[in-house]
Amino acid sequence: MSVLGLHRKLEENAGLLIFGILFVSAIGGLVQVLPSVFQDELVAPTTETKPYGALELLGRDIYIREGCSTCHSQQVRPLLAEVKRYGPFSRAGESAYDRPFLWGSKRTGPDLHRVGAKYSDAWQRIHLIDPRSVVPKSIMPAYPWLAEKEADPRNTIQTRMKRLRLLGHPYTDDEISNAPDLVSGKTELDAVVAYLAVLGEAAGSGEGMAH
Amino acid sequence: MTFVPIDVLVQGGQLFARLEQATASASVVVFKDILPLALIPPIFLYLGSLQFGWQIGAEDVIRLNQATLLMISVCYFLALLLGFIGLAILLRWMAPTYAATLEMSRHLTLVATVATPMVVGSIAHLYPHVFVNMLAIIPVLIWSMFLLYRGLPIVLRTTPQQGMLMASSLIGIVLVAAVTLLGITVVLWTHGFGPSLGL
Amino acid sequence: MPDPNVYNDRVVTVLVVLSLVWAIAGMGAGVFIAAELVWPTIDLGQEWLSYGRLRTLHTNGVIFGFGVSALMATAFYSVQRTSHVPLFAPKLAWFCCIAWNLAVLLGGISLLAGWTSGKEYAELEWPFDIGITIVWLAFAVVFFGTIANRKVKAIYVSNWFYGALIIVIAMLHVVNSMAIPITIGKSYSLFAGAQDAIVQWWYGHNAVGFLLTGGFLGMLYYFLPKHADRPIWSYRLSIVAFWAFTYSYIWAGPHHLHYNAIPEWVQSLGMVMSIILLAPSWATMVNGVMTVAGAWEKLKTDPALKFIVLALAFYGLATFEGPMLSIKSVNVVSHFTDWTVGHVHSGALGWNAMITFGTFYFLVPRLVGAALYSVRLANIHFWLALAGTMLYVLSMWGAGVSQGLLWLSLDELGELSYGFRDIMASMTPYYALRFVAGAIFLSGAILMFYNFVKTMENRTTVVRRIPDVTTARSAVEAVA
Repeated sequence: MSVLGLHRKLEENAGLLIFGILFVSAIGGLVQVLPSVFQDELVAPTTETKPYGALELLGRDIYIREGCSTCHSQQVRPLLAEVKRYGPFSRAGESAYDRPFLWGSKRTGPDLHRVGAKYSDAWQRIHLIDPRSVVPKSIMPAYPWLAEKEADPRNTIQTRMKRLRLLGHPYTDDEISNAPDLVSGKTELDAVVAYLAVLGEAAGSGEGMAH
Repeated sequence: MTFVPIDVLVQGGQLFARLEQATASASVVVFKDILPLALIPPIFLYLGSLQFGWQIGAEDVIRLNQATLLMISVCYFLALLLGFIGLAILLRWMAPTYAATLEMSRHLTLVATVATPMVVGSIAHLYPHVFVNMLAIIPVLIWSMFLLYRGLPIVLRTTPQQGMLMASSLIGIVLVAAVTLLGITVVLWTHGFGPSLGL
Repeated sequence: MPDPNVYNDRVVTVLVVLSLVWAIAGMGAGVFIAAELVWPTIDLGQEWLSYGRLRTLHTNGVIFGFGVSALMATAFYSVQRTSHVPLFAPKLAWFCCIAWNLAVLLGGISLLAGWTSGKEYAELEWPFDIGITIVWLAFAVVFFGTIANRKVKAIYVSNWFYGALIIVIAMLHVVNSMAIPITIGKSYSLFAGAQDAIVQWWYGHNAVGFLLTGGFLGMLYYFLPKHADRPIWSYRLSIVAFWAFTYSYIWAGPHHLHYNAIPEWVQSLGMVMSIILLAPSWATMVNGVMTVAGAWEKLKTDPALKFIVLALAFYGLATFEGPMLSIKSVNVVSHFTDWTVGHVHSGALGWNAMITFGTFYFLVPRLVGAALYSVRLANIHFWLALAGTMLYVLSMWGAGVSQGLLWLSLDELGELSYGFRDIMASMTPYYALRFVAGAIFLSGAILMFYNFVKTMENRTTVVRRIPDVTTARSAVEAVA
């Protein structure tokens, strides 16, 4: 039977067509994506990579809420100019506790993967509330509400940490029971600044993915 | 003897009727229309850059020495000239598919017509600030597109339907060519030609 | 009890209108955030007007509001006509229409409130993920149910593409959205770090592939031959292109992660498959171009056709530019820049929006039984759409290439030539031009909406009777 004739069978049988589409489109995912999902080295934390502390975790979730990753990448590529501009290049293991990953796809603003060491907490506070007071030509939005809101008004921090522990983040019982104390009385601004401060802490030497 | 760029600017409604009647030979169109059109933007660029320097953004003005500037302007002229003639050749290549005329002079005339608003807009080069030149693009591009769709079937003597198809194909091809040029430029950069990149 | 001899078009009409509302809302949000990058203080310090939140409203509004509503409308319209039966389970079709749009509306509000998964083009949080999965299943039931009932022996090619859209998007959405809920508006991805990145771009790239490319190709394969009143130029080519497209698109995702911390082989494979993808993409373009080129005598130069033809040109650009940008030595400069944004919009404005506009100019007068209110306005819309898209693409090429070059430039001493802030500040002219381009494009869409509102004022009752059972074996003949 000719190829065209074979194809007629698909065209005249909806079930066969559905199966054909599913089969043909699944191959790529099965060969290329599935192995990565089961490749543990990809998410093996580097020696310096620790799960986020309670306040940092809240800060990261606010960072996600405000869509910071739409303009800021967290992925220093292994290129001379990028390493000069931002710091050591990013390695897979550093993102082992990132759910979701925040590597980003656009740099309207600079990369932030190594930002922790670059600015003081005081600078970050002023910059988040009023970016143009410290960077006159900045086009970043101002985030005045961060200073006015409690970081964890509904006491969700323990749930967050417990669920992450379920997914394999090594939080200890102590860390979880102490978490509410660490975040009580803190503002969202405190949380975001704490998160930004730890970005790049895991950038030291260590076994990462070589390019 | 009529000049296409002048006609585009002053003829208004009668423009296409006049272009329809055009009888000049290809080489005449190149010398009297295409050549001046390709000369004007580089001259504006040269004068503007000499006077004010290039302002890429809000930052410092880039001033090039006269020799470099002259070389850039000459390259600009050659690029425009080759681009215009190349477009006409492309149009002629597409012509049989859309039952358009094969007369090269008419293809050149169409290119001159469509290019005129752009060349007029290049007056913005006199003040070479990216912002000013960006603003100039807006009306000029719309005008050019209008002349292309309106003028193509008349100047190239085909039906309005086929003219519309041909104009759209031309836009597609030109955009693909433009992005290819960008791509080639970038690949040259990343392979060590031109500016030094930290890769 | 619906008449079994009449096509069910009311749900199509409603979906078209809703799609247009989303087009204006979504593009409006886009123009506003474009303005924010020029005048950053126009968000007035309001959370919900902040760039990071509105940007997701823009992308979700145009892709899932405008795009998917248009795809549902045209899928429902064309699957009936290529099958010669009314919609299977018409109530379920109404459920799709209402529930989908409600999900996008409430989802949009939730995005403004800060509920987001943080994964691009999959930002809606878990309650919405579950909701849209249910709607999608209903969509599949209506669509494949109609096909199962068909009186035409062969399933027409547009239905393969709509079918692939439904099946593949379901697969991608379910896998990529897997997460563990924390609160009603917050969850953590089941995947972490590099694995999350690979899964996300398998989803993200193929949402573009099977929704914005494949789905709209379904639209093209039905409405273009219909408009040209002749079958598609090469049936054989459409078969080859369809399967090559379905097979190869799915591999290309990792080109979004070049030089990122994922395995080298995944990147290289992604690059090779992206380049291969050019072949089926352009094969389809050739098929479309030849279909109209050969049938020009039958064409009137009405606005509908102009839009469809221009959409093919921009489809050609976008499907060429994509593989080019996936080449690592180009990507190293273009990645993270506005070039990517320009590329997306040459597809989104030039291809998706244009083909939808063209289809709607064809469809709306037929659905409401009245001539288009103003052909002149539609022609003006054409100019606005063309100019808007061209200016958009040009501005982002300028911005993107400058960013890529200036970020990586080193001076004679081997140090960085430019500071990040200076490069960012130098983007203002390009961003301003992009804002103008977007506003021009949006104003065209508003003009079209007005045109349709006026057209609908003259509406008459239309009953489209299903033709007697055709003797044509092939739906290719049935369409023409």
